[in-house]
Amino acid sequence: MPVSTHLGSQLVDLCSVLLLLCCFAIVAQRRLSACVDLFALQSVFLAATAALVAFLTGHRHIYFAAALTIVIKVIVLPRILRKVIERLNVSRELVMNVNVPAGLLICGALVIVSFFITQPIIPLGYLLTRDSLAIALAIVLIGFFTMIARKKAVTQMVGFLVMENGVFLGATAAAYGMPLIVELGVFFDVLVAGLIVGIYTHRLQDAFDSVDTSTLTVLKE
Amino acid sequence: MLQVLLVAVQLIMLLSLSPFIVGLIRKVKARLQCRRGASVLQPYADLAKLFRKEPVISSTTSWIFTAAPYIVFASTVAAGLLMPVFVSRSPLNFAGNIIALVYLLALGTFFMILAGLDAGSAFGGMGSSREAIVATLAEPAMMLSILAIALTAGSTNLSTIVHKSALLEGVVLAPPAHLMALAALFIVTLAETGRVPVDNPATHLELTMIHEAMVLEYSGRYLALMEWAAGIKLLVFLTLIVNVFAPWGIATSLTPSSVALGVVVYLLKVSGLAVVIGVIESMFAKLRLFRVPELLGAAFILSLLALVFFYTLRG
Repeated sequence: MPVSTHLGSQLVDLCSVLLLLCCFAIVAQRRLSACVDLFALQSVFLAATAALVAFLTGHRHIYFAAALTIVIKVIVLPRILRKVIERLNVSRELVMNVNVPAGLLICGALVIVSFFITQPIIPLGYLLTRDSLAIALAIVLIGFFTMIARKKAVTQMVGFLVMENGVFLGATAAAYGMPLIVELGVFFDVLVAGLIVGIYTHRLQDAFDSVDTSTLTVLKE
Repeated sequence: MLQVLLVAVQLIMLLSLSPFIVGLIRKVKARLQCRRGASVLQPYADLAKLFRKEPVISSTTSWIFTAAPYIVFASTVAAGLLMPVFVSRSPLNFAGNIIALVYLLALGTFFMILAGLDAGSAFGGMGSSREAIVATLAEPAMMLSILAIALTAGSTNLSTIVHKSALLEGVVLAPPAHLMALAALFIVTLAETGRVPVDNPATHLELTMIHEAMVLEYSGRYLALMEWAAGIKLLVFLTLIVNVFAPWGIATSLTPSSVALGVVVYLLKVSGLAVVIGVIESMFAKLRLFRVPELLGAAFILSLLALVFFYTLRG
């Protein structure tokens, strides 16, 4: 392996691990606004990873995806979520289905599991980004876990977005990015999902005076 | 002869630099709160004043109370001498490896806990029990993160680890493991040295203090030794982080120019890290005591993942 590729793959690895670190911070965090900030930070790292892959492989269209990540996931979506939090006047997640230390332990287990799942696939992948695949899978699983473990609609939205980040990282890692038209579609979907969840959260607040999704099972006139 | 000189320089550096680091963190915090703050050199003046004062000792204390400051001070300094500071091959590296360093620091903590209990005041006992919680929770995370680094370097000897990574011999192969271990060790540093998310070094409020509660009964030269030892412990942790995770610029040979460069780079890196800690202390509020296990649990998971990464990403 030439030195530059080697260094490149290490840099990509480093960026993917920063994404994973953000995931753990989100799981450990109780304040909703901090969760949103951490998601924005994670998206910055995601854009950096994508730009790095684009630079190292010469696939120009990944630059567009990185730019779109910055615009939508770093600027637009966090702004929507912050506005939701501000209007709802909820700042803390006080009830959770799984408490923080147990959640962290489960997330650690999820990371180990995803490493063992991807172990047979890793030798088949591209040299540059093969280690990121396991990390991407771990991020998807942790995002999913966040959606299960938290009760507030806002954190569940953050969990969903984290999952999306994982999928994007996985696509970049495994296949050097999806075709541009697919990526555009995905970004549009995520944006619309963000808007819908914003509106849905308002409705939830109006109907139940709470954004706790477990109240949705309660019958109400 | 050169080796002895090197050890002496390292000792003097640790002793003289630690109050400066404490003062620097205080200054950064003061500036961020729009205060002018005391001079960076204020801790030196405090120490000098305390050494001149007559110590007052409770009549109910045993010999442990007067012996503890010396033991704490000596064990912390010994831990500091075991690791490379500005030369990658520390002359005392035959005396102990990274595990000895961890347990020398634990010895100091243990005697501080005993001393807190010894005077029989309510605050001391409370501080001791809290410190025992924090120390027991921080220990596994610290050991695991250090072990992850030791595995990547293939040795538990600190000099070998730092020397290898300074020369880029095989240690940079695993950035994910390194990053996770760094995050874990940083949290452990904040916990072990009593910085803000865990303990507030600037308060004497019974609800919040951990370290201060243990040394509350001390006065005069004993207090000075305790404070100085706390400063050295902070410096030891900062040096550990700086030299293990970012050893660039450290002197790998004993030529005068590289040693001079090593000293300058070391001072810059340690002060930079102190500024980072000052900023973090201003950004975060102190955690409630029952939240501390969450933070240290996160550190433990991260260090565990560092080990997992080492084994899975090695191939």
